[in-house]
Parts: sequence; structure tokens; C-alpha cells
Amino acid sequence: MIALILRRLGTAIPTLFTVILLSFLLMRLAPGGPFDGERPLDPATRAALTSAYGLDLPLHKQFFRYISNLAQGDFGPSLVYRDFTVTDLVAKGLPVSLTLGGLALILALALGIALGLWAAVRAGGWVDRGVSMVTTILTALPSFVTAPLLVLLFGLTLGWLPVSGWNDGAPLNLILPVIALALPVAGAVAKLTRAGLATALSEDHVRTARARGLSPARVLLHHALRPALVPVASYIGPAAAGLLTGAVVIETVFALPGLGRYFVQGALNRDYPLVLGVVTLYAALIILFNLFADLIYGWLDPRVRQ
Amino acid sequence: MRAPLIIVGVIVAAALLVPPLLPWGYDVIDWNAVRAAPLTGAHPLGTDNVGRDLLARTLVGTRVTLGVALAAALVSLVIGVAWGAIAGWVGGKTDELMMRIVDALYALPFMFVVILLMVVFGRSILLVFIGIGAVEWLTMARVVRGQVLQLKQRPFIIAAEAAGAPARAIMTGHVLPNVAGVAIAYLLLTVPQVVMVESFLSFLGLGVQEPLTSLGIMVKEGADDMDIAPFALILPGAILVTLLVCLTLAGEKLRDRFAR
Repeated sequence: MIALILRRLGTAIPTLFTVILLSFLLMRLAPGGPFDGERPLDPATRAALTSAYGLDLPLHKQFFRYISNLAQGDFGPSLVYRDFTVTDLVAKGLPVSLTLGGLALILALALGIALGLWAAVRAGGWVDRGVSMVTTILTALPSFVTAPLLVLLFGLTLGWLPVSGWNDGAPLNLILPVIALALPVAGAVAKLTRAGLATALSEDHVRTARARGLSPARVLLHHALRPALVPVASYIGPAAAGLLTGAVVIETVFALPGLGRYFVQGALNRDYPLVLGVVTLYAALIILFNLFADLIYGWLDPRVRQ
Repeated sequence: MRAPLIIVGVIVAAALLVPPLLPWGYDVIDWNAVRAAPLTGAHPLGTDNVGRDLLARTLVGTRVTLGVALAAALVSLVIGVAWGAIAGWVGGKTDELMMRIVDALYALPFMFVVILLMVVFGRSILLVFIGIGAVEWLTMARVVRGQVLQLKQRPFIIAAEAAGAPARAIMTGHVLPNVAGVAIAYLLLTVPQVVMVESFLSFLGLGVQEPLTSLGIMVKEGADDMDIAPFALILPGAILVTLLVCLTLAGEKLRDRFAR
């Protein structure tokens, strides 16, 4: 198990380095700079700002400086939010995004596995067909359409839930964003669970369990579900990427102070350090989730541990 | 498969043919009818928050969204088929290296790469679809490679090689025609993916720019104004969702047919 973790880390670190290098180079290639405002700056001021932020150094020195600061947890100053460093903004945004994404992942797994189980138990019947239809629609529904529609229905028309805002993570404020974020992932999980169960239920060890006279529920939950969840586990990595991407929209729609919102603001304002920092963090999170998925995978299916 | 494709066909036909027949252009402002409700007055489906005809805007937005999606899907088709076919045909070390690159790219947060490209090279519609096409080719490359690997073992290809046909002729004459079916199925599945990415970017203000419109922009505008005029959100949202669901259903059916 430890060998597996080390092997994964061996590929994860170069990947992360490549992401940082590529995004760094891309940002520096960009025409137009962070100091191009409505009003042209006085040349002396501009030169002072450029040198203060180290933007006049050769490219490789800038990159080296960035990497060594990064290793010390310093993402550099934000060029637009002048009073904050990127580290400050990330430290403020990360807990919000993690709460949102974590809850959405749990909801998506619970809902998806439940739907997949239900469809597999009623294989071939109208429940199966209905679930298949619903999951296709769920995966095709973009969160930027579902989120405003949910707000329109539950927030504005019925008035049951708050329309937007974080409110220090109050449960009522979290319900709609978490649901909107989780639905597409839940659809994909349900499809994978249903397909995995279809394969697992026709395997020899399940037939043996049935022949020994175990109850159908026990066969399903103890003997068929575990191997059926292997594809679900390998989907956790992409699901995390999907949730992070979705969170960008959800945080914009619901005005939540998470990473995604800073990312969009940074992208619209050409705030290089902010965008770079958030992309680096996103890449690190996705790599971490892939590692986590590999571990679950190994736990579910001992054959892959070697 | 028929019903979803017919629905898509009707929407495409309406988006292409109807706008020139309408009395209002998609960017013409009617100051006398700001936020008009549907089925009242001169605008059959009402107007948005600055008095632009919703029917005209939705149809033109659909046209832009689908146009970008088709162009980007074609970019992904070209890159994906070329990459997959070369990797599968050449095999060995080259294949391994090329597929390693695909695996590595799969692990990247590709939406952020597209956003990064938008930030760096400015927000032009050309870049929107080149950028999306450039990140959406991975699945296509994998599928095509698998097909080519299988085809390589087939007697007619071995016969062509034994007969001394040049690799280029075998590729264009024997391999690519046999890959076409699966490639088209995946092209159909790529289109909704790309529609989703384009709308996502436009929704955030990073994709298609005003005065041009797309379904993503309209959903955004509708969402900003939904407490007063919800129909401006519901109409483009419904068209977008219908397109996505129908294209996905049709693509999945077509893919399953080839998988058998």
C-alpha cells in the first residue's frame, strides 16, 4: 500500500510541476498587463510597480522566484485586491470551497449509489428505465442552468430557502448550492453503479452466495456492491475535477466567497498571481483526489494493490 | 435515436431559418417594451431587461452556441483522429509516449486550461472554439487508437501490407474509412460536451462577447434578472437543456450500436 502511494506521488509531483510551469508561461505570454487601467499610468510609477513585483526580471528568474516562494506557502501579492496577498485570499476561499465540494461529493455518492442500486434491483423494469432516463438528464444538465432555476423555484417563488450568500456557512444557505453542484455527479455515479452491479450480479461468487441461501439483500449489499463500486471509486478523481469546475459557477451564482469566485475575478482582471495560485491549488487538489481514489480502489479490489 | 435527433433538427432549422423572418433583430432595442411578458404585444415570447426580442435572441444565441460547438468538435475530431491513428498504427514506444501524454492531459483541470487560454489570448470567438477543441480531443484519440489496434490485426489490412501498399494508402484507403463510424458517434457525443463548455465560459463572461449572444450569455442575463422577468431565464435554459439531453441521448445510442 505504501509502495502504491509512493509510486503515485512519483508521478504526481512532476505533473504538478508541469501544470505550474505551463500556466506560469501562459500568463507571462499574455498581451496586456495588470497595470493597464482606464487611465494610463505615469511611466515612473509604472516602472516602480513593475520592478516592485519583479516583472522586469528574466523569465527563468521570475519562475524560480515564484516556485521558491510557493514552496514556503507564499503565492505572491494579488495585483487587483491590493491589500491582500494571494495566500490571504486562498486561505479565505479554500474552506468555503472545500465545505461546498465535500458536502456535494457526499450527497452525489449517496444519491448516485442509491439510484444505481434501486435500478439494478428492478433490472429491466420501468424503474430501471426511469432511472436510466433521469440519470442521463442529470448528467446533461449544466449546473449554471439548474442553479438559477432552483433559486427561482425555492428561493424566489416559494421563499423556503435563501437566494444567495454564505452567511458563515449556515445550513440553510448551503442546501441549494450543494444540491445544484451534486446533481450532475450523482447522475454519473448512478450510471456507473448500475453498470457495475449488472456485471457483478452475473459473477460466480454472487451465484455461489445465492446458492448458499443468503438473503437477496445480503447478496446485493455484501457480495455484489463492493466489486460494483470499483468503477465508482475510479470516477472520484474526475468527479473532484467536475465539482471544482462546477463550484466556479455555483459560487458565482450564489455569491459565495470561495476559490472559484476569486478565480473568475482574477481571470476577468488579469490578476496573474491570483489565477496562477488558484490553478496550482486546483491542480494539487485534483491530484490529491486521484491519489485518494487510488487508495479506495485498492481497498475495494485487493488485486490492484500489487 | 430518431426522436432526439428530430428535436435537434427542428431547433437547428428554426435557428437558421427563422431569424431573418422576424420583425426584430437580436440586438435591436424596443424602448416601448422592456421586460414584456410572453404573448403580449408585438413580441411573441416577450423581451429582455433592455427590450430586446427574446425569440430572436434565443434563436441567434442557439445558432452561435451550436456553431461554436460544431467548429470545436471538428477541431477535436481532426486532432483526436490524427493522434489516435498515428499512435495505434505506429505502435511501440511512440504509442506508449503518445498515450502517456493523453493520460497526463486527462488529469489536468482542463476547464481551467481553457480559461487560462481565454485570459492570455483575449476573449475572441475563434479562440473559444480552438481552445475547447484543443482540450476535448482526448477521448476521441483513445477510441480511435483502440479501433486502429484492432484493425491492424484484420486480414485485409495484413493483405494490403503484404501486397506492398504504402502506409499512407493503407491509412487513407483502409484504416480511416473503418474508423469513421465510431468517430462520428463520438463526434456526436463531443458536441454536447462542447456546448456545455462554451455556455459555461460565456456564462462567466469569458466566452462569446456582447453584442454577439449565445445561450450561455442569455442564461446569465436571465439569471441576473430572474426575480422580475423569469421567462428570460427559462426560455434559453430550456432550449439549452433540450439540446444537451437530445444530443447526449442520440450520441449514446449511436455509440452503443458501434460497441456491439
